[in-house]
Amino acid sequence: MNLQLMLAWRYLSGRKLRTFLTTLAIIFGVLVIFGMNIILPTMTSAMQANLQGMSGVVDYSVTLASGESFSPEIVPTVRAVDGVRAVSASLVRTVNLPAGFFGGATAPSAAITVLNLIGLDPEAARSVRAYPVSEGGRFLESADTDSAVISQSLADKLGIGVGDGFPLPSATGVVHLTVVGILPPRTHPGTEEVLVTLPQAQRMTNETGKINTIDINVETGAGETRRTEIQNTIEAAIGPNYHVGTLMSGTDMFAALQLGQAVMGLFGVLALFMGGFIIFNTFRTVVAERRRDIGMLRALGATRGTITGMILAEGLLQGILGTALGLGFGYLLGAGLLIMVGPILGKFLNITLGAPVVSPGLVVVCILLGVSVTVLAGLMPARSASRVTPLEALRPAMAETGIIRKIGAGSILGIVILILTSLALLSGNELLISPSGLLFLIGLVLVAPILIRPITFVFGKFIGWIYARRGIGELAQGNLVRQPSRTAVTVSATMLGLAVIVAAGGMVASLSVVMYDMIRKSLGSDYLFIPPSVSVWNTNVGAGPDFAERLHGVDGVGDISSFRFAGTKINDTGVSLLGIDPVMFPKVSGFYFIQGNESAYQELAGGRAMIVNPSFLTAIGAKVGDTMDLLTPGGPVPYRIVAVATDLLNIKITTAFISQADMAADFGKTEDVFLQLNLAPGADRTAVDTQIRAVAAGFPQFQLISGRAYYETIKMQFDAAFSAMYILFGLLAFPSFIAMLNTLAIGVIERTREIGMIRAVGATRGQIGAMVTAEALLLAAIGTLFGVVAGWYLGFTFISAMGAVFPLGYAFPAIGILVAVVFGLLFGVLAAIIPARQAARLNIIRALQYE
Amino acid sequence: MALIQTENLTKIYGNGETAVTALDRVSMKVNPGEFVAVMGPSGCGKSTLLHLLGGLDRPSGGTVTVDGTALADMKDDDLAKLRRRRIGFVFQFYNLIPVLDAAENAALPVTLDGVNPVEAKTRAIAWLEKFGLGGRLKNRPDQLSGGQQQRVAIARALVADPALILADEPTGNLDTRAADEIAALLARVSKEFGRAVVMVTHDPRIAAYAGRIIFLKDGAVVDETILERTSGDNSKILADKMRTFGE
Repeated sequence: MNLQLMLAWRYLSGRKLRTFLTTLAIIFGVLVIFGMNIILPTMTSAMQANLQGMSGVVDYSVTLASGESFSPEIVPTVRAVDGVRAVSASLVRTVNLPAGFFGGATAPSAAITVLNLIGLDPEAARSVRAYPVSEGGRFLESADTDSAVISQSLADKLGIGVGDGFPLPSATGVVHLTVVGILPPRTHPGTEEVLVTLPQAQRMTNETGKINTIDINVETGAGETRRTEIQNTIEAAIGPNYHVGTLMSGTDMFAALQLGQAVMGLFGVLALFMGGFIIFNTFRTVVAERRRDIGMLRALGATRGTITGMILAEGLLQGILGTALGLGFGYLLGAGLLIMVGPILGKFLNITLGAPVVSPGLVVVCILLGVSVTVLAGLMPARSASRVTPLEALRPAMAETGIIRKIGAGSILGIVILILTSLALLSGNELLISPSGLLFLIGLVLVAPILIRPITFVFGKFIGWIYARRGIGELAQGNLVRQPSRTAVTVSATMLGLAVIVAAGGMVASLSVVMYDMIRKSLGSDYLFIPPSVSVWNTNVGAGPDFAERLHGVDGVGDISSFRFAGTKINDTGVSLLGIDPVMFPKVSGFYFIQGNESAYQELAGGRAMIVNPSFLTAIGAKVGDTMDLLTPGGPVPYRIVAVATDLLNIKITTAFISQADMAADFGKTEDVFLQLNLAPGADRTAVDTQIRAVAAGFPQFQLISGRAYYETIKMQFDAAFSAMYILFGLLAFPSFIAMLNTLAIGVIERTREIGMIRAVGATRGQIGAMVTAEALLLAAIGTLFGVVAGWYLGFTFISAMGAVFPLGYAFPAIGILVAVVFGLLFGVLAAIIPARQAARLNIIRALQYE
Repeated sequence: MALIQTENLTKIYGNGETAVTALDRVSMKVNPGEFVAVMGPSGCGKSTLLHLLGGLDRPSGGTVTVDGTALADMKDDDLAKLRRRRIGFVFQFYNLIPVLDAAENAALPVTLDGVNPVEAKTRAIAWLEKFGLGGRLKNRPDQLSGGQQQRVAIARALVADPALILADEPTGNLDTRAADEIAALLARVSKEFGRAVVMVTHDPRIAAYAGRIIFLKDGAVVDETILERTSGDNSKILADKMRTFGE
């Protein structure tokens, strides 16, 4: 092994440029995997804490079933539950304010008629969520007395800042609180909050030593099954007197982040495989170049094993070097990205990021991946090297002269795979389509060698036309065709990188279409009347039908839709039951249908029918068409499932929607807990707004917000997330660039003598440079074509795979394809720069003598 | 006992109508310490004969015995070991590893055999010094002249102490003076160090350094000549014979 390592080291250091280019491929693969995986956990946990802080919800809230306050004795019990990441006990009280409490009738503060007073332990609260207090202020401290932290939007309404005071009614009279810190403006539905220390709130509400809510956050990245497990454990620990409320956790962006993390990991592995392709290419060339040396070694008595070991040793050395550098650069990338992205996220999404998270497990995995991919990539070339006979030492090297590449076993397998995967796509069967994406890629890689010549012929005509006056078009074409295997491997590496962009583009396009559609439907009405606790409807005090009638009475008000709530059980599982008006609801809001369609509304109107959401299906284990008994005050009543649909507000909660008529008849509920309102066409917005607000003032349990503004805010958040994803995907195309550069550089080195000859017979330096550039463009064109085809297919299979869980309509990734084409061709041109210069500047005499 | 013995050694390439008989039932012997040159026109089979003697290729018929060992049924790895321990090779194009220096190149066969690297280098240096390359131990092949590279190759061929040296056109790539040096060195290897040398050459001047000449034509032995020790006449004699057999 000593000799093999020594030879490996000498050969590697003897060809520095090639070694650098090959190792670069591995560096990049490891860099991406390591870098991404140290960013994302940081971003994920920061986003989780911050988004939850922003949206005011946590994973679970424990309250007493009766709604009363209780002793904090059970807090340690909850904290000790496996899977619970952080707990924070608080006392939350709604403080109703008389009209004009803060100022005159026309002041902005006059509109504030209710506030939530939240007493908390500052340390514990910050372990559950982040409170990004703006500069000049601070968060609460345990020793604070008569201090408060409020949001910017509340501060604006009150016209106060840090250091200013404001009054608040309490059990002990009016208390004057001083603002010590200001949080970002409240952008989501709900009542404004005033944060004080727990003892302060207990004094103000005469509830000394009591709490009424325990907020709980669970471990990051917990899936549905794990969350249910944790919830069950909590419930078992605290007993039946307490209620564990499941609130909307993390939002869709968080779920998208989790998906993004998995996808990033996959892409990182892809990048590494692309690095493997590049190494494979290089080693094949190395073996071809060193046939004489290898033959001589065999003639001197080296066994096949020795030769294999020599090539593998080179792979091992490159793998170790590349991995080590990849880890180092990956850390710098991760830390650097966090530093760069931090301020942007902080500004637009109010998120503060921590340091990169490096786990020993990740380091080990990266080392194993980096080294093993390199060694494996060298395995086939090493075996072929061992087959070089001693006679090769004595005979001149034969160039590959496959004019029409013979169709070997690999190509046949590739053709079969392509046919099967195409049939799978046409079948429309999700189970068949899902795995076929990657198989399609493999199929393309296998058939690439036999496709090179015909495709090169087609593209070559075009390139030849561009370079006609330079007289080198055919030479460039011929160079690629002469080495179809190497060309094919480079094309495959390029294809993978570009396929990723196109597939990602497809996914993101489809995902964003659905998300925006859902947001627009759920929250896109002109006005929303939001209770303090969205989704946990039973804790809210609703409004009788009187409220909606009075709103209808306002001139200019169009359609009004509302939710009415009743709790029920199906087979001992709690279900959130919401009553909708089947006629009004689709006009003002609307569902995103997963199974079934808009005709389900009519079925609802027909009676004893329900539309359920996917959480319901998971929790209850039912399907469309099933009839289930809902527990009503009068006993079980059968309801038939007519469709599966979801909306944004109830996405994570086991929910069934029935008609309000059924709700009144079977459950006796006529209270509206959430309302949405659209103005009539041509209404005078300003006038109507004033009147609506006047009506709403009489029902302070609702906060009135403009649906449009909320939609824009959410959309902005999603746009930011999607843009970040596009940038990351773009990075992954980088190995394609390295692949092209590597191939072109090798090509120049290999053809030194030939280039010398072409120069000797009269080609100018410019023509040589143009030849290499033309070759690069050809390579890029072929790779891009493969990449677009593969990416389109891959993207389609991803969407179909997700369809089993959450259907997304397929949106054609026009932008993704455009970006891939631009990247691909640009890379071709850029990759040619150095090799073209090298080739053009070769000394003719030395080139002719090159061995 | 003969160091090398072949009986009806035959090598046929291809089959059917395109079959080419490169060697046609060649029977010959080489004794220990002999310097034998194999000559003949282009395509006569002399290189093929050398390849078969060295176990680099397998015969289509007949037998080859080297130092008492029949090569015919040996496995590939065993042949490799034979080559590194009992046969030394010198090729036309030096075939030195470009990334190793002179001493490391010369030490290759014993290094491959698992000999301690220090010991291997010591042995290699001893031979290199005998061949006047004591001051060039650290030079890489691209820093040596053609003649110097070939001397490194000969040192490499001897480092494992083999009884037999096979040289395939060892002077084919050298100028006249360097060619003479190498031919004289091979003669010295045979006479002074007692190794059998079988050299393939087309150059009568170089062949004249040998003690016995075997002429091949169309794959068969057509002549054997024992040379007297007057190199000037011998070259002319051999040149005449080459012309005769070349027709």
